[in-house]
Amino acid sequence: MANEYETFVRDATRILSGREVVLSLRDLTPGRRKYRGINVRAVVSRPPRPGEATLWIRSVVGVKDPLPCSVHIVEELPEAFKAVTYSDFFDVMEKAERR
Amino acid sequence: MAHKDLRGFLAAIGPTGDLLQIDDQVDWDQELSGIGRLSCERNGPAFQFNNIKDYAGWRMVANPVATWRRYAVALGLPADTSVRRLYEFYAEREQQSIPPVTVKSGPCKEVVIPGDKIDLFDLPVPMVHEGDGGRYLGTWDLVVSKDANSDWVNWGMYRFMVHNERLLTGYPRPTSHLGKMFLDGYVPAGRPMPIAIVIGADMPSHLAATATFRIGGSEAELAGGLGQRPIELIKCETSDLYVPASAEMVIEAEVFPDRVAQEGPYGEYPGYRSGEMGNALCARVTTITHRRDPILTLDTTGFMDSSACNTSISGAIAIKRRLEKHGIEVVDVYVPPESGVHMAIVSVRKGGGAVAQKIVEVLTARRALMSKVIVVDDDVDVFNMAAVIHAFSTKCHPERGVHVTRYQGRANTLTPAYSMKERIARAGASVAFDSTWPPEWPVNETPIRATLDAMYSPDVQKKVLARWKALGL
Repeated sequence: MANEYETFVRDATRILSGREVVLSLRDLTPGRRKYRGINVRAVVSRPPRPGEATLWIRSVVGVKDPLPCSVHIVEELPEAFKAVTYSDFFDVMEKAERR
Repeated sequence: MAHKDLRGFLAAIGPTGDLLQIDDQVDWDQELSGIGRLSCERNGPAFQFNNIKDYAGWRMVANPVATWRRYAVALGLPADTSVRRLYEFYAEREQQSIPPVTVKSGPCKEVVIPGDKIDLFDLPVPMVHEGDGGRYLGTWDLVVSKDANSDWVNWGMYRFMVHNERLLTGYPRPTSHLGKMFLDGYVPAGRPMPIAIVIGADMPSHLAATATFRIGGSEAELAGGLGQRPIELIKCETSDLYVPASAEMVIEAEVFPDRVAQEGPYGEYPGYRSGEMGNALCARVTTITHRRDPILTLDTTGFMDSSACNTSISGAIAIKRRLEKHGIEVVDVYVPPESGVHMAIVSVRKGGGAVAQKIVEVLTARRALMSKVIVVDDDVDVFNMAAVIHAFSTKCHPERGVHVTRYQGRANTLTPAYSMKERIARAGASVAFDSTWPPEWPVNETPIRATLDAMYSPDVQKKVLARWKALGL
């Protein structure tokens, strides 16, 4: 696991609720694999918790929230979600949360 | 005749100052594309980066045809060809389709990487803008797909982002030709759709891919016509698709009918990052083939990017043909590249409110990419934006001259003016600004423009122009 990630959200309150959520993260580790994507089940904390990877939140137009979070990855999920093509990605992630 | 491959084109634009070679190390993470972006905004040259951080030995060219000069060379014409002449050349050549020929071998097959050896992070895929959803491999590309139920093969320029070592996500919109093929022919059957993402082909092939072109038409034939030579096509390794044999790289993939992953956001051709994420395609790479020492290409998408000139021309010609088909007496159409394909100037022999309303309705009937149309009389040169602004500002009645049409399900989701809610519903509107004189106005009451060509006698005009010339002006 990396030390720093970013994620894109339509609604930041959803992931800052303190409960387990499904997210798509981008690995910010410098080097050739920077921005590699992974899908995870995780808990996001703000303020960041010591020992957890830093997480930056961006909006759907890419605006970065200046306040950092931390992320505890509970489980790495498959690289893509099962859903009909062109499905709304955020809806699909919310559905995946409900297992 | 156009150059046969990317390298021939680059050799032609170097000596004229339209291509700069950069041998100092440049970072793939925003720096390289930032240079390209600034060049687009300043009408600057293309750049070839020969020393990319983390990727020794790889080369990348940013914005091959982002100016009218480079666009002219892409068509095999002198760099100083006027925009009006480029429009005329394009319109002529678009009608002279030249079928492609198939070949058994070609440069794009010099290196073949099978699926199990592919790692997309081995390629110097740039992070184009800060805050994008990821690294975009497909920017100045050509994506080949084939209709499931007919022989129709589509070439389009669509964005594709790297998700991980073998997975790409892309944004050919559902209303695009590729999107239509996929939704009509593959998704109902639950079949994956083969695609080939071609990078660094000959310029006419890319121009054809980004052109506004009819459903069912062959962009390969269009490319032949534009370049005045048949395109050599070669079969893919893992599908029955054919791709330009001279390409620098071909990424073969399969689009899943039942998978999604994050795609975007991305700074797009209208010049904004509009947040159109959440409904994209997901594709697994099956094979990569490329030339030895390939040169990848990049469009630093945004204001006046590499597709702006071509969508200006092909869009304008498509608009003219469609309006003529609906009985409108069109003289000229110009789509200013600075408008991000959102505005068209249409000059007509006979104007008026009814004509303006008909124009905006015809242009938004299937999919509505244009949101503003300025309709002018035929004495206004549509290529002269000063004259267009003058006509619009003075002749368009602030109330009677505004003709709006609204639609649902076919709006341009990349139009920044739309709210997020409108974009999700693909709901929008287009407007025609009638900047013509009402046809019912009597001639002896219609204002006369106070310009040399309209308010002076032919004799005086002739004398003035002769004097002007004699003064060396």
